[in-house]
Amino acid sequence: MYEEILEDIAQKNGLREVNPYLKLAGALGAIFLCLSSESFIAPLAIALLLSTGILLLARVDPRTYGELFLAPFSFALMGALVIILLSGGGELLWSWSPLPWLSFSITRGSINEGILVLSRVAGGMSALIFIALTTPMTDLFLVMRQCRIPEPVLDLAMMIYRTIFMIMDQFVQAYQAQRMRLGYTSFRESVRSLSMLCGAVFIGSWDAGEDLIRAMDARCYAGKFAVAGEIRPVGMKSLLTVASFLLVSSAIVLSTGNITII
Amino acid sequence: MTHIILEARDVRYRYPHGMEAIRGISFHVRRGEKVALVGPNGAGKSTLLLMFNGMLRPDSGLLLFDNQPIRYDGGSLRELRRRVGFVFQNPDRQIIAPTVYQDVAFGPTNLGLPEEKVQVAVEAALRNVGLTGFERRPPHQLSSGEKKRVAIAGVLAMDPDLLVLDEPTSNLDPAGSEDIMELLEELKENGKTVFISTHDVELAYPWADRVILLRGGEILQEDSPEVAFADANLVRKARLSVPVLLDLHQELERRGLLLPGKRPRTVLDMINTIERATWKGASGPFYGTIHVCNVDGTGREALSRWLSGHGGISLGAMGTRAKQRAAEEGLTLDFSYGVIDKCILKALNGRSSLILTVGGMVQQVERRVSDFKEESGAEIPLREVERT
Repeated sequence: MYEEILEDIAQKNGLREVNPYLKLAGALGAIFLCLSSESFIAPLAIALLLSTGILLLARVDPRTYGELFLAPFSFALMGALVIILLSGGGELLWSWSPLPWLSFSITRGSINEGILVLSRVAGGMSALIFIALTTPMTDLFLVMRQCRIPEPVLDLAMMIYRTIFMIMDQFVQAYQAQRMRLGYTSFRESVRSLSMLCGAVFIGSWDAGEDLIRAMDARCYAGKFAVAGEIRPVGMKSLLTVASFLLVSSAIVLSTGNITII
Repeated sequence: MTHIILEARDVRYRYPHGMEAIRGISFHVRRGEKVALVGPNGAGKSTLLLMFNGMLRPDSGLLLFDNQPIRYDGGSLRELRRRVGFVFQNPDRQIIAPTVYQDVAFGPTNLGLPEEKVQVAVEAALRNVGLTGFERRPPHQLSSGEKKRVAIAGVLAMDPDLLVLDEPTSNLDPAGSEDIMELLEELKENGKTVFISTHDVELAYPWADRVILLRGGEILQEDSPEVAFADANLVRKARLSVPVLLDLHQELERRGLLLPGKRPRTVLDMINTIERATWKGASGPFYGTIHVCNVDGTGREALSRWLSGHGGISLGAMGTRAKQRAAEEGLTLDFSYGVIDKCILKALNGRSSLILTVGGMVQQVERRVSDFKEESGAEIPLREVERT
């Protein structure tokens, strides 16, 4: 399952010990630059730089990264296609109207627009995946606490995080039990099985919730959650890497201006 | 007379939907005792345990902790739950926080300890269960045995007097179960009282000081394990089985093959009885030596030098820290559970062995060996490895 793979990699990757603020600054900066760039070149360059970082610095398995990247990217591709076919502007390159009220057209403007959106998605996504693969959730909780996110929200988030994995387990087990008894052979059967599965998992999580309250009571819960431990100090090398990454990216954004593909 | 820490007087409890789960139970637990509550599924074991820390309130009867009746107002309950550490059967349901550190720190933080003290308590608890270095791991990446240890550490961090564990070895593989039982033994040595529920007869039999047989919400029998499990009828009634060792002893006794006497609790006891019954009294037997090494004071070099001088010796480790050390040094252990007994067995057979252990447990080895000498007359040489 993806969520476990993500967590596993986040716990063991090569950038695990780098200060989480630095990683966040790098990734959020990258997203900001991707959005502010008027040209498709800068976001693509950022995606390339971040991917290199993920593969070489964090030492993530290229196959896993490829799968992670391509799954959402295929959605973005479809989105870009729609933009290219439906939006207009500039010189008309191709058009087709199968019905009187429906027409598709490709124009110079629409291609530029589509490519720009696609490259921004690629850049932004590599930034998000960079965070997900290099920074474990537990480090992010610590950052959130230091950013003064209200305690109850944070405590809830931590408990939800802890519970997700348990419910996921339960879900997978019940699903396998259904499949073993041929629960998904036909469409009708699938709908029925899935509804039963959801019901069972709901009841299961309700139970787990009650147990959680009992467990907390048994351990003297008085509204407090322990802090998560210490944050790694900012290393000189990583600081320089992030700074130079942001500088280079900004330079690319500025120098490419609004260069378009056609 | 040892101090009584927990007492029940005619306790009754009925679940809201009608079934009476506990039907008039009275017993007591002394400080420093290891008690096993043994019974089939549905006997009311968990229900009874949940009363010890006030999670359930008996309908009638009285529960006393440290000679004070349990009171059910918020403040008293918190104090009770600090002193009675409860470990649930399913560690997944007990572990709350997203990292091991946070989870173990949960109790002490809620008790209002300052952060430095929380840290000290967590470190000590993790060291106790042998999970040093696991602080930042998320619980869902741990094995069942490790999760169980986290759950126990979370309770230990509050420094309870009484540890209550519901089915501590369910879902664990045999080695994992033995590790947990060994850990409980160690905690007892550190002055905790340990109360477990189980239906694993073989596990409870050698471990417990006292056994309470429970069936249908009533106590069938309460005695030392060799007495409580000896009545085959009673044991069958409770849907349990007679421990193999005890069964064997009884069968041998019936055939007149053994002298009637103390019933064996361990393989060592059994061998001792058999040897005494069959020994012809010829030449004095030759015993192997048991070497004890306190790993805290012995350097890596001294240990490996000693080992290379004693090739082929059997190696055992007692206690979590000693086992960790053995793992660090890449030593293969022959025994990791019931180590002293196994080494005495080796010695009786003329073979020498080395026990790796820490601090106060060295005395425990000495005590056990001298107890055995009194019991059997066998004078087994015991030597401490020199620390250089």
